[in-house]
Amino acid sequence: MQTGSSGEVRSVVGATDTRGKHRISAELKRLEQETRFLEEEFEQLENWREHLLLVKSKLLINIETRPDPLLPVTNGPVNPTWDRWFEGPQESSGCR
Amino acid sequence: MSVLAELKQRHVAATETLNALKAKLKQKRLLLLDTDVAGYARSQGKTPVTFGPTDLVCCRTLQGHTGKVYSLDWTPEKNRIVSASQDGRLIVWNALTSQKTHAIKLPCAWVMTCAFSPGGQSVACGGLDSVCSIFNLNSPNDKDGNLPVSRMLTGHKGYVSSCQYVPDEETHLITASGDQTCVLWDITTGLKTSVFGGEFQSGHTGDVLRYVTYLFSAFTNVYLEMISAAFLASMFVLGFSVSINGSNSRMFVSSSCDSTVRLWDTRVASRAVRSFHGHEGDVNTVRFFPDGNRFGTGSDDGTCRLFDIRTGHQLQEYSRPHGENEVPHVTSIAFSISGRLLFAGYTMVIAMYGTLYWQRYVVFFSEWCFNSYRPSTVMNVYMYDALFTFQLKFLNQQVVLNLGSLQTSHYGRISCLGLSGDGSALCTGSWDTSLKVSCDL
Repeated sequence: MQTGSSGEVRSVVGATDTRGKHRISAELKRLEQETRFLEEEFEQLENWREHLLLVKSKLLINIETRPDPLLPVTNGPVNPTWDRWFEGPQESSGCR
Repeated sequence: MSVLAELKQRHVAATETLNALKAKLKQKRLLLLDTDVAGYARSQGKTPVTFGPTDLVCCRTLQGHTGKVYSLDWTPEKNRIVSASQDGRLIVWNALTSQKTHAIKLPCAWVMTCAFSPGGQSVACGGLDSVCSIFNLNSPNDKDGNLPVSRMLTGHKGYVSSCQYVPDEETHLITASGDQTCVLWDITTGLKTSVFGGEFQSGHTGDVLRYVTYLFSAFTNVYLEMISAAFLASMFVLGFSVSINGSNSRMFVSSSCDSTVRLWDTRVASRAVRSFHGHEGDVNTVRFFPDGNRFGTGSDDGTCRLFDIRTGHQLQEYSRPHGENEVPHVTSIAFSISGRLLFAGYTMVIAMYGTLYWQRYVVFFSEWCFNSYRPSTVMNVYMYDALFTFQLKFLNQQVVLNLGSLQTSHYGRISCLGLSGDGSALCTGSWDTSLKVSCDL
């Protein structure tokens, strides 16, 4: 079994292939297992469509409900300590 | 039909089934991305944030390093910052008063990253020596007046480009290294608890380039680089990055050498939980979104992206306009505390040719030219509204963070960014040797 650059699998089992049936049988089992994994993933994707919508709506709610000092306008309580960067120095030695 | 012939027939059929399924899966994933976050936000009637020209101002400039600043980290509590510099020192600052509380001379001057412990008692740093060194800030100085190393975490086989303490754990941290692994350390014993990754151990040529670029950058100052032909610094500090989930500290993401990002569970070192695809160049920086369910990335392909950790889907891409031959590498990213704002630091790299090394070689020279004539355009931090992809209007190419007046802008590349613990201030560290703290008026 070979994998091309696009991820496609090419069967190398040709008419003149003389490899034993055990080897081909093992490869067949691997192919079938991979197919099962992918089928499961495909089913999960259906659920993910709803999940993604939920993800986006939760993202929006999350962002909008958390108070953010760097936003010009923000929801939620303003914390007075956010303004500490603009308060003058504690010592008044400079004010003569 | 013989048994063998039948098996062969089944093999061919199974191959066809698998290929068809792969194509279907790919198609399905594409369909699922029909609206990104921006589309969804618009459909909910949301509009982008607008900023006035003086909304974000520089309120502190921290001077003291004598070399380029490479990395910075805030304490989780409010006001202290540790920074690492080309001058071979870590400085611990009280950002509110602009005072330096510690200036730590490092045993190895070639430092790349630093981090503050959750309790603020220790700092960690790592670099070209492949070691992560821990300093306890309360230790007495040694006889030479230097703060002694309290623990050395040795074992990486390559430079340590990123380190972060596990949130709320003073004794555990995670490092990312040029040896393509991440390690969770127990600082008390100095031993590795777990090693993540490692299957790409040998022969990654990008690695050699990073060593060379670091070394070159470490021996020149920002002016010397402008007149040197080998301006390799575009590559430097663009090392492997790690970010730990603040809401679930067992999960962390790391950038990988194959343009992917991996999500790890610290309990399972043998394989990543998930890989995230999408970027078309090295991923230089990763950062968890505040709610811990998503993370942002920045890459050499010039884009930042937002990924959902559960599904692996890319939710949004953020890119800035650039000229045809320019490739703005993203060097650092940070989110504001709500996640509404994404800050991205860029370096401008001009790509003249298509092939990898030619491109980079010419870039060095071109960046020198670029720098001489338009010095401010390479030093950009862009701020995005994370719900939309628009760059917020007042950040333009001529000004860094529009800090009210040009005197307060950095004049060298911005290498690192970080938000304070309460989200009220953004600190930027630059190759002009200073750090600047900006806040919203």
